[in-house]
Amino acid sequence: MDDLIFIVAITLKSSPAVLLASLGELISERGGILNLGVEGMMLVGALAGFVTARQSASLALGLCGAMAAAGLLALLHAFLCVHLRADQVISGLAVTILGTGLSSFLGRPFIGQTGLHFSSIGGTWIDGLPLIGPLLAQQNLFGLLCLAAVPALMYLLGRTWLGLYIRAAGQDPAAADAAGVPVAAIRYGCTLFGGCMAGLAGAYLSLAYTPGWKEGMTGGQGWIAIAMVIFATWHPLRALLGALLFGLLNALQFYFQATGIELIPAYILHMLPYLLTVGVLVLVTVLEKPVLGSVPGALGKPFSREE
Amino acid sequence: MRLKLEKKAHSGLRIVPLTLMIAAPVLLAGAVLFEAVGADPLAAYAVMLQGALGNWFNCSEVLVKAIPLMLTGLAVAVAARMQLWNIGCEGQLVCGGIFAAGFALYAADALPAPAVIPILILAGFAGGALWALIPALLKARWNVNEIISTLMFNYVAVILMQHLYFGPWRDPMGRGFPGTAMFVRSAWLPRFFHTRIHLGLFIALGAALLLYYSLGHTTWGYRVTVIGLSPQAARYANFDAGRQQIAVLLISGGLAGLAGMGEVCGIHLRLQQGLAVGYGYDGIIVAFLAYLNPLAVPLVALLLAGLIVGGEQLQAVAHLPASISMVLEGCLLLAILAATVFSTHRLRIVRDDEEGP
Amino acid sequence: MKKLAVCLVSLMILSAGLAMAASQDFQVGFVYVSPVGNAGWSWAHDQGRLAVAKMPGVKTAYVEAVAEGQDAERVILNMARKGYNLIFTTSYGYMDPTLKVARKFPHTVFMHCSGFKTAKNMGNYFGRMYQARYLTGMVAGAMTKSRIIGYVAAFPIPEVIRGINAFTLGVQRMNPAAQVRVVWTKTWYDPATEKEAAKSLLDVGADVLTQHQDSPAVQEAAQEKGVYSIGYNSDMSKFAPQAHLVAAVWHWGPFYREMVTQVRRGTWKPKAYWYGLKKGIVDISPMAKTVPAAVQQKVMAVRQAISDGKLKIFAGPLSDQAGKVRLTAGQALTDKQLLGMTWFVKGVVGSTQ
Repeated sequence: MDDLIFIVAITLKSSPAVLLASLGELISERGGILNLGVEGMMLVGALAGFVTARQSASLALGLCGAMAAAGLLALLHAFLCVHLRADQVISGLAVTILGTGLSSFLGRPFIGQTGLHFSSIGGTWIDGLPLIGPLLAQQNLFGLLCLAAVPALMYLLGRTWLGLYIRAAGQDPAAADAAGVPVAAIRYGCTLFGGCMAGLAGAYLSLAYTPGWKEGMTGGQGWIAIAMVIFATWHPLRALLGALLFGLLNALQFYFQATGIELIPAYILHMLPYLLTVGVLVLVTVLEKPVLGSVPGALGKPFSREE
Repeated sequence: MRLKLEKKAHSGLRIVPLTLMIAAPVLLAGAVLFEAVGADPLAAYAVMLQGALGNWFNCSEVLVKAIPLMLTGLAVAVAARMQLWNIGCEGQLVCGGIFAAGFALYAADALPAPAVIPILILAGFAGGALWALIPALLKARWNVNEIISTLMFNYVAVILMQHLYFGPWRDPMGRGFPGTAMFVRSAWLPRFFHTRIHLGLFIALGAALLLYYSLGHTTWGYRVTVIGLSPQAARYANFDAGRQQIAVLLISGGLAGLAGMGEVCGIHLRLQQGLAVGYGYDGIIVAFLAYLNPLAVPLVALLLAGLIVGGEQLQAVAHLPASISMVLEGCLLLAILAATVFSTHRLRIVRDDEEGP
Repeated sequence: MKKLAVCLVSLMILSAGLAMAASQDFQVGFVYVSPVGNAGWSWAHDQGRLAVAKMPGVKTAYVEAVAEGQDAERVILNMARKGYNLIFTTSYGYMDPTLKVARKFPHTVFMHCSGFKTAKNMGNYFGRMYQARYLTGMVAGAMTKSRIIGYVAAFPIPEVIRGINAFTLGVQRMNPAAQVRVVWTKTWYDPATEKEAAKSLLDVGADVLTQHQDSPAVQEAAQEKGVYSIGYNSDMSKFAPQAHLVAAVWHWGPFYREMVTQVRRGTWKPKAYWYGLKKGIVDISPMAKTVPAAVQQKVMAVRQAISDGKLKIFAGPLSDQAGKVRLTAGQALTDKQLLGMTWFVKGVVGSTQ
């Protein structure tokens, strides 16, 4: 039982970055814009969040800084994809390369510096709660708030006019446009939202999970987040599931080593998240839309009225 | 008021203004960054230039660096000709390296020396192609998104390679350090001009020529282009798109595999850490900067290699992070994207009432 | 266009000239595998470089974040070409590139850290970090209550395995029933992965954590959980003020200064330099107040004994993980055996794969 609680706790704590980034990507893709720049945006967000929090002595400002910096990159991507109708794949890759380079270039003086960070909420009355007490005690406020984003986005997508607009812009922009949906503005907004979420995801790493700036500290989590959107078949709740599963597999890999039980060789376990993602991708594609969810119809396609 | 993208009456920019349009903002962005960290931009660029082209040795190193970039650039380009996104060159490169290393370690000394190099080349190609096979089949059979599948396979390949040189393939005489034993002499790619330039350069250039010819001047190339430009037209013409997709992805993977073979047998001479350092991702930049033209790929690869080697000098001489080359790469790619659009379109501010039906 | 070309060419000549002009000093170059930062492996080496830079008539330079692969040989070769007199390459993966360049530049002296190859103008060097590890192990053994100590380690190579073994022997000196659990991250530097590995060890009940990694993530994990931690490379107490007990640290400065002096005097020999506590190349950081005075005294006494050569750490009787006797009383492992160590001593839980 203790083991279980611990695994759940680790899982909960190691997955918010992937969760935040994949929720952002999910909205962006629902609006029809594929954003492969997540990894770069996360890195820039991680650096900006850490530096802003450190200089301003405010965690809240740190989060704003992370969102602003990553959001700027997202606007660049949106401008290229929406206004210039450029290729979204290349634009996204360019943003990732740019973001990785920028964060590494500007972050050099901050490597290994200490700064502010979110601490875990343990050591209070929370410890005493039955069952979930020890589980919650190791979490921090930021990580728990991330979980709240899931129902919020479910509500937004499913129950509001804005959600309808977003889905329409991603599904059939021409029809949406005819019905009076401001497709360009919606797509801008979705991409910007995706960028801000990626920035927050980066800030989760640099302000909560492994406090401090480290070059390349995302370690590919941005790419995992993109894969998780497909895993989630564009649904927020399943994105949570995917992020948790990913966190779990990561935790398990070391758990087996630490306990000395080796059910599966460590390197196979290490490969599993990636292979699983491909597996789910195949399943989703083969089973087609009605069963699992919906691939946004116009994902990755630029839209213009004249054509 | 809003921004509107309009087609120009006469499309196309001349090459000189186009180059300026791309180079100027990139260099400017770099200069701003140098200023931001308190360095003199002109001096910094001078160091980079000198680091890349200052003497024959540096030039030769740029060529060495360009070899894997040329091959992965070609790999991305050939797939993209068919609108296939091979983001998995990194993994295919690694797998090519694994195959070449496996052959060099366990079979090369049993064969007559002249036969080894040709088989190595085949092994590298086969390794890369094999790694592309599953995404290719998935794409052709079920239209599974190849961006994600090839990307995920990158991680798997790197883990597999690590397992090999930390585990079963570890050099028994290497005092427990990671890495395979050094290959037998016959499995070293020949080097030229007393530099590290190795046979891979000529393989890459040959591949560029071959691709240029076969894409532009054969019926196969014609089919690939048609399928890429218009899948519907291809269906009318009864082209088997699925089979071509598999073929193109296998060729693409094979080219990336050759890059891995070149690094392993031309530079490292053993399988060890430092093989998966991003050539696969750089290949994407190369391919698009080259507008997917196989003949332009080697030139662009040289440009990028110069940027990387020059950036390294910046780090050595001026202690500015070498990652400036990544920033410049990113800007370059963005500028190219924008320039491609602006060569045929222009952006205009229009008032809402101005807009007709 | 022509003007621009003229401009560029003159710039190149100018910068080349500048490089030549400075060559009167004795030039020492350092190649680091990661950014210097302020705590890890490369930082420790850079502290050594700074000590060298204070010597009169000596100029130093370094290149950081050089990947072990195609780039390493080019960077080292570039340094040699620029006329550096002595070049230190500070990562295992630089061994072959250093050797290749050394053959091309017979008048430059090369020193490679943590490998085993030598040439006429190339030596190798390392520190007996296992001695400091033994001492930190003693602290861990004295402080653990659960008798489980977690060790987050990068790669199963002799350097790391040797450290784990020495640490475990130190633990057992104070607490014979304690075990050391090892988790491999397969990366020198990846904060998130290191932290996850650390947590898995906390999960199985470890109440003291240590690491052979370059980031302070393991220390942070211990701090968050409220257990103890032991640092590596440098004093890591600022990352985990409550958790940090002691750290096994590098002091490269004295060694680097000695090498520079030897090369300048012409007394340098191309051999394997493997200094320990005695020369001060490795040591432990000041212990935290939480470590009882009696334990501190005991550790310092053992430190003295090792330094005086009275205590050999890998001496018999010694059995391996499976219980097989590797050394009987009176025997000790040779340096060669130590450098190629690929087996765990008794008390380590984990695999060497």
